[in-house]
Amino acid sequence: MSRIALKDILIGARQEAYRMRHFYLGAEHLFIALLEMQGSIASNMIKEYGLTPEYVINAIRRKTGKGSKHRLWAGVPNTPRMEVILDIAGDLALDHHREEIDERDLLMAIFMEADSVPVRVLCALGLDNIEHLTQLAAEYTIADDSHRPYVDVIFGPDFDPAAVLSVEQMLVLRRMFYGYQQIRVERRLIGGYSDALLLIVTPLHADGREDAAVVAKINHVDATLDEARRYEVRVRNSLPPLTARLEEKPVTQEGTNLAGLKYTLVTSGNNRQPMDLRAILHDWGPARLGIWLKSELYPTFGQLWWQQSRPYRFQAWREYDWLLPPILTLELAKEKQLPPQGFTVRMPLKRSRLRQLEYGDLVAVENFIVQKIYPERKAIQLAAGHGTESAHAYKIEIRGIDLEANTYYRGEIIEHIIGSVWKTRNEQLMHAVRSLEPDFDPTGERIPGIDDRDDRLPNPIVAFDGLLDSYVDGTLSTIHGDLHLGNIMLGPNNSSFLIDFAHTRDGHTLFDWAVLEINLLCDVVMPAAGSTWDDARAVAQQLMALNGGLPPHDPDSPITQALAAIANIREIVQERLAVENKWSEYYIAVAFCALRAMMWDTLPHSSRRLMLLVAALSINELRTRFRPGSDSNPHSPEVTDINMSFWSGELGG
Amino acid sequence: MQSQTNQQIMLNVMVMSGVDDGTLLACHSDRDGSQTVDKWTITIGRRDENDICLRNDTYVSRQHAKIHYKNASWWLEDCESTNGTFIENVEDFFDDLPVKGIIQIEEAQLFRVGRTWLRIQPAE
Repeated sequence: MSRIALKDILIGARQEAYRMRHFYLGAEHLFIALLEMQGSIASNMIKEYGLTPEYVINAIRRKTGKGSKHRLWAGVPNTPRMEVILDIAGDLALDHHREEIDERDLLMAIFMEADSVPVRVLCALGLDNIEHLTQLAAEYTIADDSHRPYVDVIFGPDFDPAAVLSVEQMLVLRRMFYGYQQIRVERRLIGGYSDALLLIVTPLHADGREDAAVVAKINHVDATLDEARRYEVRVRNSLPPLTARLEEKPVTQEGTNLAGLKYTLVTSGNNRQPMDLRAILHDWGPARLGIWLKSELYPTFGQLWWQQSRPYRFQAWREYDWLLPPILTLELAKEKQLPPQGFTVRMPLKRSRLRQLEYGDLVAVENFIVQKIYPERKAIQLAAGHGTESAHAYKIEIRGIDLEANTYYRGEIIEHIIGSVWKTRNEQLMHAVRSLEPDFDPTGERIPGIDDRDDRLPNPIVAFDGLLDSYVDGTLSTIHGDLHLGNIMLGPNNSSFLIDFAHTRDGHTLFDWAVLEINLLCDVVMPAAGSTWDDARAVAQQLMALNGGLPPHDPDSPITQALAAIANIREIVQERLAVENKWSEYYIAVAFCALRAMMWDTLPHSSRRLMLLVAALSINELRTRFRPGSDSNPHSPEVTDINMSFWSGELGG
Repeated sequence: MQSQTNQQIMLNVMVMSGVDDGTLLACHSDRDGSQTVDKWTITIGRRDENDICLRNDTYVSRQHAKIHYKNASWWLEDCESTNGTFIENVEDFFDDLPVKGIIQIEEAQLFRVGRTWLRIQPAE
């Protein structure tokens, strides 16, 4: 039975009202106070629905927004709705012969009143059966986890013993499989380049029966709950019948900032353990992999995703700026006013002014949205555009924020904030290139060519900026958003499964294929070539031939063979080009994806070197073969009819 | 609404957020708003002379929006307000849709003027 006093709850509500500069007491503050109390009925109920109190609090704050700094009334009055809720709660207490309203009365009263902001937010988050919530609140007893049977975790023979799981990850993993006697962790999937942990897990019953293996994904709690929401809203209804699905609510674990999701593989019987493509590549080789991508993965998901594309003309920055490092990293400044010569970052953005900024310059940022909060680094990340999706242009990081004294929530519009320049995007890109020990001057407009060193290529870290403003004639469709070998699974009868829908959205159709090509270049092609700059050039040289539809220099070389899968991707892309044979939209996507991969310090230097060259090569293709944004005639010399059959495994390769 | 010039019309607007959350604001065609041959118009803004006055929301413009009753339907118009008038977005609850021009609005549908959410109460 709850023993949290009304007085304490109202103190919490009042603190929330002050944090949000609301200066009145409403149902939203009351509900947030109930959620914030450790072990409260509200917080436990929310967790049973697969959400966390923090996630719901963030959503309520986002819906109400912060108030103005100017107070228009004295004191902290209750809203009329709050008065109604307190009256209902008072009646509930009386019904139970209690003198004081308790936590349960307040929670039930909020649900029974049914019209307040927190209830509307809960509905939007999928908790839309208010009658059921009211009933649950009336009867809720807090479960004692200590009585839950312990789930034993063992590791299969394919699990790499060096890949130790953290204590927090183990806690979440056990909680995800409550009800089973034991789980066997078969393998760790090498994910993309996020911190998410992906495991193939076989659950076992007490009598030794095994259930079908599932993919358990453990990640930061906000990202996990966003992924579950995105799945409900966007993905669930656009999947082929047999595939990986999220059948259960996410699982959160108190005391950690992690949560878990379980991808159940819906198969037609034969429950062979699923394999990710990275694991299968060793047996198959690139040629067979490429054919499978084109003949199995693409048609299976394409029908509802990539093939459902519609024309989409966009400026490259809208779809691709987010792949680049933040346009600015600022240190929060004490100044409240910007000096007269100071620069204000607001949309539409003048990037030419940004390029002139130097360390220490004061900059104001206006009407950007909080995307991420990093409590451990005392930093927030802002971006242009609405919502908290990751694909928003113009990230700005602000450091030195006192997150205890100031409340920020994801999705909040920051109307005005001033910081001094700590780092620019160009500095970050230049730093990344220098760390790759270039055998050329990385600061010039051009870098050495590939075939012939005198035939110079554009330096991508200089040339990318102009590319951001070019118009792209492309198409828009549902895209996976992170299509790499670790997210593509092989099910029974070599069927295709996709997992990890954290970035699924409507976007440039070719983005998925550019991501996959970059992933193959880094993980398959470059390891076959070597590690030096010249080895990277050798790969780029072959890629250049492939771009031009020319036959490989040496059909038997390991690089040529590794490129077979790329040729199959190009065949898929060719089918999806907005204008027949006009490849410029693809080269733009590849250039930005390559620049992103060039920044990843989890990749070996060799692959990152190749990425710089791939970006250079793609920009060169755009400059020499196409004029981006021009309404070209498909029969003009700007378009290339490319024959991939020299390269793909389908021509005797 | 030709026959409605002499007909009495009631508009009940419920405040759905902010310091006045839960307040019912009642307008009556006899005493509030302005009438032409075929429509009745109610103004919303921060200043007192508006029919619906939201003086406690600094994000509301002096004259912010209008509600029209025409052809037995309600219509919402933004009066070039600084911070905009919005309706809920069925695809994304957190990304409200700005009202451009005049749009039809249903009873019980929520709309936002500045930071304040409002709702036309269904007729009893």
